Amino acid sequence: MDDIIQVSRLTKKFNIRQNSSFIKSLFSPEGKTLTAVNNISFKIKKGERVAFIGPNGAGKSTTIKMLSSISYPTSGTALVNGLVPWENRKKLAYDIGTVFGQRSQLWYNLPVQDSFFLMGKIYNVDEIPFKRRLSKLVRLFEIRDLLVRPVRALSLGQRMRCEIVASLLHRPQVLFLDEPTIGLDVTAKEIIRGLIRRQALEEDTTLLLTSHDTDDMEKVCDRVIIINRGKLIFDDSITALRDSFLRKKYIEITTDSGQKIKMVVNTAITPAKKAVDELIRQYHVTDLTIENPPMEEIIKEIYARE
Amino acid sequence: MAAKFIKLFLYVQKSNLKTAFLNLSDALVNVLMMMLNNFSYIFMWWILFQNKGSINGWNFGDMALLFAVANISFATYALFMRGLETLPEYIDSGGLDNFLVMPRSELMLIAFSESSFANWGDYLTGFIMYFFSGHIGWTSFGLLILVTILASVLLFAIRLLASSLAFFINDSQRLGDNFFIAVITFASQPSSIYTGWYKVISLTIVPAGFLVYYPVEVIRAFSWTNLLCLLGGVAIFLALSLLVWRQGLKHYSSGNRFGVR
Repeated sequence: MDDIIQVSRLTKKFNIRQNSSFIKSLFSPEGKTLTAVNNISFKIKKGERVAFIGPNGAGKSTTIKMLSSISYPTSGTALVNGLVPWENRKKLAYDIGTVFGQRSQLWYNLPVQDSFFLMGKIYNVDEIPFKRRLSKLVRLFEIRDLLVRPVRALSLGQRMRCEIVASLLHRPQVLFLDEPTIGLDVTAKEIIRGLIRRQALEEDTTLLLTSHDTDDMEKVCDRVIIINRGKLIFDDSITALRDSFLRKKYIEITTDSGQKIKMVVNTAITPAKKAVDELIRQYHVTDLTIENPPMEEIIKEIYARE
Repeated sequence: MAAKFIKLFLYVQKSNLKTAFLNLSDALVNVLMMMLNNFSYIFMWWILFQNKGSINGWNFGDMALLFAVANISFATYALFMRGLETLPEYIDSGGLDNFLVMPRSELMLIAFSESSFANWGDYLTGFIMYFFSGHIGWTSFGLLILVTILASVLLFAIRLLASSLAFFINDSQRLGDNFFIAVITFASQPSSIYTGWYKVISLTIVPAGFLVYYPVEVIRAFSWTNLLCLLGGVAIFLALSLLVWRQGLKHYSSGNRFGVR
């Protein structure tokens, strides 16, 4: 299989002004250089679903922005579908789709379908293929009832489904998803993850998904790249990560007296089911959650093993 | 290419109109209020000319022509290019990203992205004032259309220049707004007062001279020199604004503020 994304020694530095006084900053600006992305290299094959994971401020979004032609790197190179993103912005736009969890590409006051038709015009999609495409995505993402509703009347989860449809209307080969589940509740997150995975499998779309939620990568992707403070620290399959670093599960229960009890279980030694059974046997459990270790914990463990 | 551009332009304008018509009564009241606002200002000048007769050879008819040019060109800008006013916010919040990943000119998409329906009131004011100008005729009407298109391109350039400051200066929205308002204020005075240093300033730092002085002169007393001066001024400011915009894009680091368009 061909590499659809090739990143080589990519670096992005930002200059930050540090003067405390305005007058001083005008005449002798003092700055600090912040390295957001530090010399990272990786390749992604066509059809791969890759999670780009790291804590807040790790450099995930900065990398996605360079790969999707939004910003220029300080040094290094990258090719997306054979094109250098920042040199071929308009040409590359037809090959990529982007979803930014933090902001919308839909027109706030207009019905959802109007934004879709506008996107079709912007991407020069002819009317008949466009309608066929839209109808397929509407079915896949189950948004028929949302089409006539103005964007402002949608819940965050509904809006995210529409955002993803908008980014797929021109059949991009690569889909960049920057924190697509940010701010969503547990149910909405599950729905979005399932829909993204189903679409990618059905159309062989290459995914690069950033998140600081480890569940996003487990449910959607088959490979994970972890970056921390701009450096690439892990690049392997989800299975490898799970076997090595996701063995610990964080279990929290609430008892009928309102008491909260937390425990960490190493599933390599004690299966999660056994631990839960034991808790239920000992307490009157009214609520129970099982979570993966937080990103910071995984990163700490990766460094510790190095 | 041009056909696709026109198709997209019309579709965006249709969407903008649809947004305005979501509350039709509000939209129409805004148009009327805009006209009321314009005519209260014009009325003040009418009283002044009634008492003074003329200012440096300018009578109320010339002033009416200035109002026609200023209102029609501003309406063209406000109806079809007003998105540029939100550009500093797009730069600051990272909203510019949405436009940069699209296969069309990001500048065109940003400019078209907002429209102010109330400014149809400026169009109506402009055409009414043209009929009071005493310069009515097919040739002068043709020239009016030509110069107002050029003046609206200049407004586009000035606003782009002001908004692009956001690439280099934090929180530049107010600075850009003040610069733009200064140009409009300069452009609302009789062009006959443009002499000496005032004229130099009005053709350089605050280019209101190209916005009204040359356009009005082209209609009042057509000369190729005035038309070429107008064309040259617009071309220089457009080139300068595009240069600053392109440099700014290279500077752009993108933000991550939460929100919707």
